[in-house]
Amino acid sequence: MTDSRANSNIGDVLVVGGGISGIQAALDLATTGYKVYLVEKAPTIGGKMAQLDKTFPTNDCSMCIESPKFIECDRHPNIEILTYTEVDRVEGEAGDFRVTLVKKPRYIIEDRCTGCTTCVEYCPVMLPDPFNQELSGNKATHIYFSQAVPLIPYVADECLYLKDKKCFICAGVCKNNAIDLHQEPEREEIKVGAIVLSPGYEVFDPKQRNDYGYGLMQNVVTSLDFERLLCATGPHEGEILRPSDHQHPHKIAWIHCVGSRSVIEGSNSYCSSVCCTYIQKQVILTKDHDAETDCTIFHNDVRSYGKDFERFYTRAQDLPGVRFRRSYVSIGQEDPETKNVTIRYSTPDDGVQEEEFDLVVLGVGLGPPKDARSIADTFGIELNAHGFCKTDPKSPIETTRPGIFMSGAFQGPIDIPESVVAASGANALAGELLKSRRSRLSKERVYPAERDVSEEEVKVGVFACHCGANIGRVVDIPSLVEYSLTLGNVVHAEEGLFICSTDAAEQIANTIREKGLNRVVVAACTPRTHEPLFRDTLREGGINQYFFDMANIREHCSWVHSKQKEEATEKAKDIVRMSVARTTHLEPLQEFDLPVNKTALVVGGGLAGMTSALGLANQGFEVHLVEKNADLGGLARRIHHTLDGLDVQAYLDDLIGQVYRHPLVQVSHAATIKEVTGYVGNFKTTVETEGQVKTIEHGAAILATGVAEYTPTEYLYGEDDRVITQLELEERIAGGDEGLEGVESLVMIQCVGCRQEDRDYCSRVCCGEALKNALKLKEHSPGMDIYILYRDMRSYGFKEDCYREAADRDVHFVLWEPDSPPEAAAAKNENDKPVVRITTADPILGQTLELDADLLVLSAAAIPSTGSQDAARLFKIALNPDGFFQEAHVKLRPVDFAAEGIFLCGAVHYPKYISEAITQAYGAAGRAATLLSQDTVRASGSVCEVCEDDCVSCGACISVCTYDAIEFRETPKGKKAWVNPVLCKGDGVCNAKCPTSAILLKHYTDQELNCQIDAAFPDLVKAGK
Amino acid sequence: MEPVAPFKEVIAEVKGAGGEVFKLCYQCGKCDVVCPWNRVRSFSIRKIIREAAFGLTEIESEDIWRCTTCGTCPDECPRGVKQIEFGVSLRRIASEYGVFPTSVKPARTAAGSLRAGGNPLNEERGTRTDWAKGLSVKPFAEGMEVLYFVGCYFSYDPRLRKAAVATANILQKAGVEFGILGTKESCCGESIRKTGAEDVFKALARENIKTFIDHGVKKILVASPHCYHTFANEYPEFMAKFEVVHITQYLLELLNEGRLELSGAYEKKVTYHDPCYLGRHNNIYDEPREVLKRVPGLDLIEMSDCRDQSLCCGGGGGRIWMETPKEERFSNLRLEQAKDVQAEVLATSCPYCISNFEESRLTLEYEDDLEIKAITEIIQDAL
Repeated sequence: MTDSRANSNIGDVLVVGGGISGIQAALDLATTGYKVYLVEKAPTIGGKMAQLDKTFPTNDCSMCIESPKFIECDRHPNIEILTYTEVDRVEGEAGDFRVTLVKKPRYIIEDRCTGCTTCVEYCPVMLPDPFNQELSGNKATHIYFSQAVPLIPYVADECLYLKDKKCFICAGVCKNNAIDLHQEPEREEIKVGAIVLSPGYEVFDPKQRNDYGYGLMQNVVTSLDFERLLCATGPHEGEILRPSDHQHPHKIAWIHCVGSRSVIEGSNSYCSSVCCTYIQKQVILTKDHDAETDCTIFHNDVRSYGKDFERFYTRAQDLPGVRFRRSYVSIGQEDPETKNVTIRYSTPDDGVQEEEFDLVVLGVGLGPPKDARSIADTFGIELNAHGFCKTDPKSPIETTRPGIFMSGAFQGPIDIPESVVAASGANALAGELLKSRRSRLSKERVYPAERDVSEEEVKVGVFACHCGANIGRVVDIPSLVEYSLTLGNVVHAEEGLFICSTDAAEQIANTIREKGLNRVVVAACTPRTHEPLFRDTLREGGINQYFFDMANIREHCSWVHSKQKEEATEKAKDIVRMSVARTTHLEPLQEFDLPVNKTALVVGGGLAGMTSALGLANQGFEVHLVEKNADLGGLARRIHHTLDGLDVQAYLDDLIGQVYRHPLVQVSHAATIKEVTGYVGNFKTTVETEGQVKTIEHGAAILATGVAEYTPTEYLYGEDDRVITQLELEERIAGGDEGLEGVESLVMIQCVGCRQEDRDYCSRVCCGEALKNALKLKEHSPGMDIYILYRDMRSYGFKEDCYREAADRDVHFVLWEPDSPPEAAAAKNENDKPVVRITTADPILGQTLELDADLLVLSAAAIPSTGSQDAARLFKIALNPDGFFQEAHVKLRPVDFAAEGIFLCGAVHYPKYISEAITQAYGAAGRAATLLSQDTVRASGSVCEVCEDDCVSCGACISVCTYDAIEFRETPKGKKAWVNPVLCKGDGVCNAKCPTSAILLKHYTDQELNCQIDAAFPDLVKAGK
Repeated sequence: MEPVAPFKEVIAEVKGAGGEVFKLCYQCGKCDVVCPWNRVRSFSIRKIIREAAFGLTEIESEDIWRCTTCGTCPDECPRGVKQIEFGVSLRRIASEYGVFPTSVKPARTAAGSLRAGGNPLNEERGTRTDWAKGLSVKPFAEGMEVLYFVGCYFSYDPRLRKAAVATANILQKAGVEFGILGTKESCCGESIRKTGAEDVFKALARENIKTFIDHGVKKILVASPHCYHTFANEYPEFMAKFEVVHITQYLLELLNEGRLELSGAYEKKVTYHDPCYLGRHNNIYDEPREVLKRVPGLDLIEMSDCRDQSLCCGGGGGRIWMETPKEERFSNLRLEQAKDVQAEVLATSCPYCISNFEESRLTLEYEDDLEIKAITEIIQDAL
């Protein structure tokens, strides 16, 4: 191993941009064994996601799910974070880049600063706070936000010293001499093998043209402004107050497509992809804040094309006092007294209406980063026509320069999970380039030795978190701390604004050492997101990580009892008391290392499966690719071209060739999986293929079982051979003119079989598919009449340009509403020619149109393939209500399953376009590589164990275990149940079934839980009831 | 309701008449929202566009004649539908078929008058220069600084003649060497073109271009934004390009060069109305304001709908000739807006605006509250 100290400027990968995508890229690369420089131009990592209040469609707190990743980056031995730093020059080539970085003067000496914020307190200059969208003030010297990494201030340009050399109070009050107002920019050269660009996006600025009165009327705000207004760490601690008078708005309007879907100069012609759903999120959250608020959404097509978005849309629609109005609007007057704003909108039946609102939120779109041009110049890459990074549909993560990859919204407007997927994909692609240097520069994390506390008396420390205002506004934290100190065994209690911030976590570790704590209770949020972080903190403090318990005083307390502050505080005390009681009985548990088999299994030989198989094989991992059909290719075999110009069959042939030629890829055709056993790092899968049965041992699995096209029962399909599906049309187009001879008029109907009660999702690809086929037909037969009957044209992203192009080529678009769907019947036209006659109401005309078609094409839903259900059963993974695979976390673990070692990609996750499936396939390969690159994985210590003396060998536990983790073993006392600890997931179902309580779940023993329950009712316990 | 089938022949006809852009419409409703008609009565250009998309246009309907070509909706249309060109195409078809609702008939009369006497007002060509009697305005001769193209309304309309006189006085005071075409001047043709009478427009344009060339004209000074628009943007269709300057631009030039000095005062609260064809169509917003700001004592204030949001007077697109019921006149709203900001004078620089505003002034009985002035009249008072 190279001594990295001697090569302090040598790394493997440079990641540019510390938003969620850059963070994920850095973490995956670093975990796979590469040394990463994470460069961010802002004073902290976090990016735009840190500014969001919640994330759709789960409404998880954005900062809460992102900030643990800040700390993970900070603590990762293979990541060096360089904030307030920009890239000046890039020389060299793939495998050997020399990069010149410029560190902007922060005027704070990072090594000396303790983050005490005394300088902030004394700084006399107030300026609009950029983190809060300038809706509140902050000092010229301040920490960017409370969870910032690094958690140290920076001095803004507005500083009086920097401007006029007038004031240096901060330098005077800093006890560590950490302030240096004479700092100059520092240049540094680093060497890396690959670069990942994740510079993010810029929101559209309506101020440029005073669109919708923004910048002129106080109560017109952008959606990003509104995120801050919603947020507990925002300008009003989560109270929605309008800018003009700081009163609660009772009537709010949202305006869609601000700066998007428009060819007006200064706007973007594309669709920004995320606004429809973030607006629905804001509406739902607004109603959470105040159920009485009247919410009106002015929209064009509502584009709920993502996973679970349609249900989210319906949820917003169904809320009382929420109106969706299909109309673009204009802003009329601002009332000089109330500062209310008048909006004019159009209706098909009642003409133009005017209505007054207390607050107007502009759904601003996404544009390329402000400095995209200079990024392109510095890195020598090309941009596309919209100013985003130019990519190839075959490889959407690669830029035009070899060795430089791209992730996140730099590729175009996309949402968080897609940014995360591309980041993991960048790991796979950089890994292909750098596989020979994997682990050469990487370091292991070193923890202090674990203290043996078995002889110590129990010393509990309680740390209570304000979570900004999330908890502190409701629960009286100081009184909770005071109360905690009165509890038995508690030797220390303190409060913190954000216990999850880097400094607070470090402080806990210090306190553990200094006060000799041997149990820790954190009273804060949920263990779902934060338990790993705090367990890690206990290890840093030198005690066993299982001596930890989380008292959830946010979800279980401040959020649900926000209106009853006193009672909430009492309940918080109860919860903490219960937690403390439990911790006193906690035992140290050991996790153990399991070896990792470095082979991967990929299930599904379609485009996604093959791409991820190659993605892994090219990184040097052996791959078994299992396909149920006799040939590779999957559904893509029926797709011939894409809207972005890809020749799918040529690409597929090339891909199949690569798969067959690759020495590390073994393909099983006509294969059925019979059985899957084992666990992360050590799976055994039995496959029957072409008459043979074989067992594949593998450490990871990627499931890419694809989708199928729904076979319609609607619109005469199957009865009249002039009614076909989009895929059938595509095959006819590809097959030449014969199939389409004599077709003068063609009607397409969208949303057949989906966006309805039994299949409540949007199939995402059909609008693009319809546009694609319509454009292709127009290319061959410009005179053909084509009508697309749609509910919402969901041509998100750059596909919006194709929508306009289709209109320009005379494709007619007719909107239909679900309460009056189109009808089709066989008929004869005026020339006595047999046709399929489609009647559909046009809301703008106020008339019913009668369209005679020679061919009726149905955009049939994409539905999960039958293979997916089998895979779900065999791999014991969950499906969502629509039958698609359920990922571990929709936002931040989009290609992982909750079950470790299994990943997913392609349309089995949710229907998607080819280039999206390719990105996701690389993403899954990148995630699998983080596992396969390890020699060992850790298994949880919280598993079940059988007390053999009490076991009566009834087998109840065995039959109930979902994971087949329990079996009988011969012992000197006879046949007894035995738990395989690596298979056990610790769900405890067996505990409940065991008639003799012979089986127990470590970390959740009866004693631990009983104590916790007893503590809930101390009076009853005392009274002996 | 009986279902209707698309009428392909009509679709083809609209396309043939230059209205093809309707196909881009995605029915967002923005055009209706910004249309000034919807402040006075219900009118949906979106619906007219939608009807054309299926060949269901009602060619005899009054609605196709409603658009004043104010230019607000095409400026705001996210799909780039050129509503004005589209609307004109429908009028061309109606003209071809000779279908005109009663309220539109005066526009036909205007077309006849243009053919006969080069003006839409049924006036004699011979009296075109009567406004200039006694002003010693010279006929244009090659080598003069500018041709002052007076325009029909300024030449014939008694109210607007005052503004023409003011212009001549100012030019003389500034020592500008200028001349007029006299009876050889014909209507620029801008507005009649918008009524679908393409042949009348072409005849007028060719005639004017010929006269310009025959007289060796290089630079044309106009007082009407409509003349400005067609000379600058439409005459080039005939491969004829002349330097065109609007009087408000020219005034600023003269002031900046020191040729014109304002020694008098004009102690009034003035608000400026942007004519559609000067502002939205040609992006001239600042020069008129700058000129007004130079007037000593003048207090310039803005109305609620100003600059690119300016509210149309209702006179463009040939509407100046058509009947508009009193309660549906945009100019009434505009005068109310002027009054709302306590203006004493509503200044503008377009003959249609002035005509419509003067009429609204009477209708609303604002005679004691508000004066309507051409910018040139204000400048004349401040000389």
